[in-house]
Amino acid sequence: MVLQARYADVPIEEKQRLFDEVKADARFESYLYGCYECGICVAACPSARFYDFSPRKIAQAASREDLPMFYEQLNDDIWNCSQCFSCTRCPRGNNPGGLITIMREVSINNGLTSAKTALEGYGRVVYKIMSTGTQVSPDMLQPNAFPDWGPHVQEISDNLALWRRALPPDTMHTTSTAWYVDDRTLTELYLIWHMTGVLDMIKQVDTGLHMILNDVMEELLEEAGFTPE
Amino acid sequence: MPIPLNVLDTRRDSREERGPAVPPTEDVREQVFELEAKGEWLVQRVPDPWIGVTTKYGRIKKIPVAKTWHHKSCGQCGHIPGYSTAIFWLIRKLGLDYNDPKDQTSCTAWNYYASATSNQGAQAAVAMRNFGAAYESGYFPMIHCGTSYGHYKEVREELVHSAQLRDEVRRICDKLGKPFVMPEEIVHYSEWIYAMRDEFAKRRVLDLSSIDVTVHPACHYHKLVVEDAIYDPDVYGGQRTAVVSAVVTALGANVKDYSTWFDCCGFGFRHILVQRDFTRSFATLRKIDVMREEANPDVVLTHDTGCVTTLDQSQFAARAHKPNVGIPVMSEAQFAALAMGAHPYRVCQLHWHSTEYRPLLEKMGIDWRERWREFEDDLERLKKDDKAFLTWEDADA
Amino acid sequence: MPETILVIGGGPAGLEAARSIATIGGRAILVERRPVLGGTPDESNYAALTPRMGSAQDALDILRAGVVDPDIDVRVNTTVTGCSGTVGDFAVTLISPTGETTESVGSIIVATGFQHFDPGRETQMYGYYEHADVITLPDAEKMLKEHHFVRPSNGEAPRNVAFIQCVGSRDRRLGNEYCSKVCCGVASKEAIEIRRLLPDCKVYIFYIDMRMYGYWENEIYWPAQEQYNVTYIRGIVTEIVAKDGRLLMKGEDTTMGRPLEVLMDVIVLSVGMEPSRGTRDVAGILGIAQNKYGFIALPGEPMDVVSTSVPGIFVAGAAAGPKDLEDTIGMAGAAAVRAVGAVRGGARAGAAAAR
Repeated sequence: MVLQARYADVPIEEKQRLFDEVKADARFESYLYGCYECGICVAACPSARFYDFSPRKIAQAASREDLPMFYEQLNDDIWNCSQCFSCTRCPRGNNPGGLITIMREVSINNGLTSAKTALEGYGRVVYKIMSTGTQVSPDMLQPNAFPDWGPHVQEISDNLALWRRALPPDTMHTTSTAWYVDDRTLTELYLIWHMTGVLDMIKQVDTGLHMILNDVMEELLEEAGFTPE
Repeated sequence: MPIPLNVLDTRRDSREERGPAVPPTEDVREQVFELEAKGEWLVQRVPDPWIGVTTKYGRIKKIPVAKTWHHKSCGQCGHIPGYSTAIFWLIRKLGLDYNDPKDQTSCTAWNYYASATSNQGAQAAVAMRNFGAAYESGYFPMIHCGTSYGHYKEVREELVHSAQLRDEVRRICDKLGKPFVMPEEIVHYSEWIYAMRDEFAKRRVLDLSSIDVTVHPACHYHKLVVEDAIYDPDVYGGQRTAVVSAVVTALGANVKDYSTWFDCCGFGFRHILVQRDFTRSFATLRKIDVMREEANPDVVLTHDTGCVTTLDQSQFAARAHKPNVGIPVMSEAQFAALAMGAHPYRVCQLHWHSTEYRPLLEKMGIDWRERWREFEDDLERLKKDDKAFLTWEDADA
Repeated sequence: MPETILVIGGGPAGLEAARSIATIGGRAILVERRPVLGGTPDESNYAALTPRMGSAQDALDILRAGVVDPDIDVRVNTTVTGCSGTVGDFAVTLISPTGETTESVGSIIVATGFQHFDPGRETQMYGYYEHADVITLPDAEKMLKEHHFVRPSNGEAPRNVAFIQCVGSRDRRLGNEYCSKVCCGVASKEAIEIRRLLPDCKVYIFYIDMRMYGYWENEIYWPAQEQYNVTYIRGIVTEIVAKDGRLLMKGEDTTMGRPLEVLMDVIVLSVGMEPSRGTRDVAGILGIAQNKYGFIALPGEPMDVVSTSVPGIFVAGAAAGPKDLEDTIGMAGAAAVRAVGAVRGGARAGAAAAR
């Protein structure tokens, strides 16, 4: 057990509760077997090269059930992961990246401040994917959103509607979605968000976004005669 | 350094004496069929004709030739539209039947891996909704995005191993009125390109023998559910996935190795959107720089949405302090299409790409000035509303 | 009832089993698929044995001399292709270049051994099929036997050599979850030999756990560190790629907690053991159960380490799983006693097998 400097004020019961939520995920069992500290995951990890981040320590803390370290990682480490899953090279069959996916879900479900911080500036993406069914749309290519991508983004943005019309596939003339998505399809997607509790997750981290999404979805769902459970 | 080929040949030959190796993983497809036999779901069969390709542990995977339902990629269609267009163009060039659906959503996995604002049930339901739509159309799913492909394979494993998850998702599909159906194979478009590479080679019109290529294999293609990715003993001794590389070779260009091939591109899912300092650093320092130093390629080819975006767009800012960057990036689908005479703007839509690609086109023997002029004429006609959209007929005019 | 015992495999286990059978008054037919006796230590050019550095060839000569006996019918270039019957009365079909014969035997000892893991076969990313300077423990052994350790690519003496442990062992992804037992010792032994041959060459061993049981600790591990300055680094390598004409290995130094990318001239993969093709084939022919890794199963473990799932058929050596030479020789003697016992007093042997 490592002496922890950070989050000493958070009661151990709270740390235990969050850890138990992670462990209760159906995938946990196949994502963590045991760790003999070979370091293969770290050598393959892009985030380990740029951050003080180690998939080996994620696996270790989880298998030791080291609650203070787990809680530190839950707040300070998991959002650094690239989710590339290079760490699945693990000879023990562990999936540290997958553990992080679960940890992120738990931190969202519990509305942790660190999760809210990590999602700052990201709300528009959640809005786009949940409300339109395609995550990336042509009209997201705005110079203020991607200043580091160069003046080229401005050129695309200026010519967007015209350039989209110059695409031979007829599903791709859209500008606010990546392709044309049928209303019926969207309705079905909304129903999925409702039925699987994803909207409730959003509520935990961004109440404003939750309200807007609900409004957007309501109309289509009603038209189709669906009443979310 | 002299390469003692006999040493390596002897090593490879000993493989035969040792006898066949038993795959270390179960074949999830067998369980997919078992669940069908138990009445749990339908299995959509790969339509005839199909091509058998070899996966990591020597199993055969069926790749449909035609009758494909195109599970498009949001990042491709949204920001690299020449990527998707090139895939369709290749299919049309071979005269094959396909379906470009509107009853399709993103896999939503980009968001899931970025923000975790979703869960296992929702992700599986989105996948099965799309699979259901494909089944209803009578066409077989072909997945354009590496992340969708990897994620759907994870979803397949999870559904196969959890009756509870199957029940949850089946209940949702029932409510939506969609059939509960799992495809016999989960197929990435780059597997189709790999399977059809000789057909493309036959139709090649450009000499690519002077074109050097570095290949970036997409993480979510070969690191998620690894046993299902294509490997070929003739490509890097069977120790790396053969997709893309084998296509480059078939088209007569040269695959060049570099030491960070296994590294990811730096996309990071959330990083590309809200923490791009990481993405830019990784893409340039660990990938583009290394490629330039060790292989000096004319182009970087990859087979996934995020990788093309990251490797291409990250080079602009790096130019400020790194004269070394500036390698064009595209998908192998666009590259193959160019090799077969596709229009660089009408089909491959290279004007959406960031890093300077014109020297590459010149080296490939493409008159980009003339092609751009043609495309500008197209745009003029569209502007004047002579026509609403550029058509496939226009693309090959 | 035939009193003869069939011993399949002419490596250390089979040689010692046949010798032991004759020693206690039994008769044996010893079949070996290769033209010479000696098994894997001979075929793979073992030079110095772990831990005491004695000559492998001298040891094999002693074992070979043990089967020069009127009660041992040695048949090289021979394989088993069929088997029927039960304990006390097996009919086995043998094929050799001179033709096919059927022999009556009372019991059988399987001593078909192991094969070294092929690091090129699986997608380990160690580039064994791509880089000549990536070699295996037996490849290194072959060079050390000739007292000539070089980079295979150019014949020059290496300045930096690394061993990577647990290649093909302890790996769920490869399906080989077991430890191969000997590789830590063999790698350390080879490291010492390289340091003796090339005093200017730095030698590193990258490991997860060093497993040097009993006297291997003081006879190999400590001397390697204390007298020969072999550097042990805790952490395994993710991949090997070519860089500037050398080999770049990427891993993590888990003791220091930092990523590691270093250039090497030669990298030795400490490959583990897998059931040999002979073991897999013979298991099928005799109808004896294999464990999930393909080795011969031992249903009576731990108190019975030689009985297979079929009464009257016993196993010795690495056909039953990773073994060092000491275990192999001990097991061969035990199998011989049990095989002779099965012939002479079938009921008691059968009861033991069923226990």
